Amino acid sequence: RDELIKGQGRGCLLKEIHLNVTDLGLGYQTKEELIFRYCSGPCYDSETNYDKILNNLTQNKKLDKESPSQTCCRPVAFDDDLSFLDDSLEYHTLKKHSAKKCACV
Amino acid sequence: RVGSWGLYFTQSTYSESIYVGQAAGTPVLQVHAMKDKASEQPYFTLYWRKLQKPSVYASWFQIDAITGVIYMNKTLDWTDFESIPNSWAVTAKKLSLKVSAVPMSRASFPNVEVSLTFFNATAPTCGQIKLERLCFPDRDINPHIKENRMPGPLHQLRRFTHANLCPNYTFSYRVESESPVPFAINDTTSELVVTAPIDREEKEVYHLMLWCSIRTEETLHTLLTPLPIIIYDEDDSPPYVNGTDTEDVLIEFSRSKSAAFGNLFVYDRDTTSAYHKEQSQNKYVWTLMTNDTWIKDTFTIQQNFSEEKPIFDNVRGTVYKYRLRLNKNISVDEKRSFLLDFLVNDTTFRGPEATVMLHFNVTILPVSISFSNITYFFVLSRKSMTYSQIGKVCVDNCVKFKGIEISYHLELGDRNTSANVQSCYTAVGVARNLEDMTGVLYVNDTEPLRRPECQELQLVLVAQEQHKQLEAKTTVMVIFEGEADPLRTEGQRSLACAEKRQRGECETFRGLGTPTGRCQWRQGTGKVISENYSTCSPDLRTCPDGYCDVIESKNISICPQDCTHEPVIGGHERGLMLGIKAGHGTCYCYSEKCFCEQDDMKATAVL
Repeated sequence: RDELIKGQGRGCLLKEIHLNVTDLGLGYQTKEELIFRYCSGPCYDSETNYDKILNNLTQNKKLDKESPSQTCCRPVAFDDDLSFLDDSLEYHTLKKHSAKKCACV
Repeated sequence: RVGSWGLYFTQSTYSESIYVGQAAGTPVLQVHAMKDKASEQPYFTLYWRKLQKPSVYASWFQIDAITGVIYMNKTLDWTDFESIPNSWAVTAKKLSLKVSAVPMSRASFPNVEVSLTFFNATAPTCGQIKLERLCFPDRDINPHIKENRMPGPLHQLRRFTHANLCPNYTFSYRVESESPVPFAINDTTSELVVTAPIDREEKEVYHLMLWCSIRTEETLHTLLTPLPIIIYDEDDSPPYVNGTDTEDVLIEFSRSKSAAFGNLFVYDRDTTSAYHKEQSQNKYVWTLMTNDTWIKDTFTIQQNFSEEKPIFDNVRGTVYKYRLRLNKNISVDEKRSFLLDFLVNDTTFRGPEATVMLHFNVTILPVSISFSNITYFFVLSRKSMTYSQIGKVCVDNCVKFKGIEISYHLELGDRNTSANVQSCYTAVGVARNLEDMTGVLYVNDTEPLRRPECQELQLVLVAQEQHKQLEAKTTVMVIFEGEADPLRTEGQRSLACAEKRQRGECETFRGLGTPTGRCQWRQGTGKVISENYSTCSPDLRTCPDGYCDVIESKNISICPQDCTHEPVIGGHERGLMLGIKAGHGTCYCYSEKCFCEQDDMKATAVL
């Protein structure tokens, strides 16, 4: 499958892939397809002093067991709902299933 | 009869083609108006709607007032085509005429549209035209006639314009049918004629075969086309009852407003349109034949009709269904019996016997609010948690009740006991089921369960009828057995079984609503979305069962699988109003937020 990169700039980007609904692994039995968009890429350039400090504390083992979350590339807006008919002729609607806009958060 | 005429046209529209060069005086087509009675005589006129200025082509045509034949009034030339204003059409333009069957000074009169297609070309030569087009119209026609009317000509078969292009051919028509039919051809005029009045209740459509014979110089050609003649209905049949005109009605446990009882049928061989409610054609009205105000206030008749065919010898007719309906709830102590007569009137039927009398033989029995001579007896574990369901209670026949409102509450069995023992009774509560009039006993408070003096509770269950305040009482014994659980539950952050995603952690957890003190695991099967999804529940008898019952709805943590309002994440099918109907893999919930996912998917994602 072809994977194509959208948007400008470095790091965290919106990408898309053409999939069958069955590839989503949600258990739906259908022949319908969709364009799935997702966020991917590094977020180093949006780190703050907070992230640097956390990083240092983790490396120096000052925070014994915990490993707090770091900045990551996530959707900040979602695509429109997707409706499809399954093999037993019932409709389903997926909400918040595909990214529309990405950001480091 | 002012504004009403028996004359009617046998087609809803007429259409024909005209050409450049078509000569003045040649016939175009013929319209027919059928008569209601012999004294009527059609007088055909061409007309334009009053406020509208006559079209440019108004003067090109004239009609024979007696025969209904439309003639060309002028010879068409090329500039005539250009003079028709709809500019975008290049090859053909549509000319629309109106024909009235009476001199048109009346407010409402029978009329019909004639649609002529004017081709920007001269007529084809005789050799260019297919024989079918010489014989039969370009489009199918479905002429109709009304039943019970005068015989007479109804349709011109000859295509004037086309047939005149082949002056050396002779045309003749013939109709054929499997059985004898009241239709014939007038050979002189080529008109199809109905020879006798027709009864729709005998036959609705006459499927004629129309033969056209063309004799040319060399050969005789014969062509065939189907010609259905549709018979329109009028109200000429009285209502009748087939079998009984009396129905016994017993009103007992079901006594709510809008409940309906009994079925009485009235038959009518005429059709009734379902599309024009206001149309008076064959309209039926009913009247209650009683002066008793209580009966008039309490009952009404529900009338429905449907069109049926097989029971009327394969011709459409109408069946009216009458049911006795309650206007209001009937109180539980009401006791009466009476014969309720009502008159059904076919208001548009002109003959005698336009009415039938029907009867409902009504018996209203009182309903007693009572418990049969039983003591309810329930045994439950001392480990059971708050909102565990203990059992169901019901006044006699309560599941059949409709329109009877019952409430339940518990009272102390023995008021002389010590305050210490009296405080045991907070352990048990009762709630009315949401859908029927049963009550559900449940654990209201677990604190008394740990006290030895609270192990046997004797309670009085009181059922109260809400309208007349009738009461019934019975004894309920609840025995808590086994060891009490050591007190740890207060320390737990959440008590919801539904949070647990694994069998192991589920079956060791003390969740809200568990009658054994431990949650229960349901292992689903299959990889697809299924109603039998894996989940952790306080009591598999009630959760998840696709229904958020009265106890479950007291606290969302008891069974969010049945009760959640919120969107579910993951592959699932939503319940009708609340909850999850079917899920993929394991469904679990944090508070009201539920997730369904396949376990092995999760495992690979973590790796």
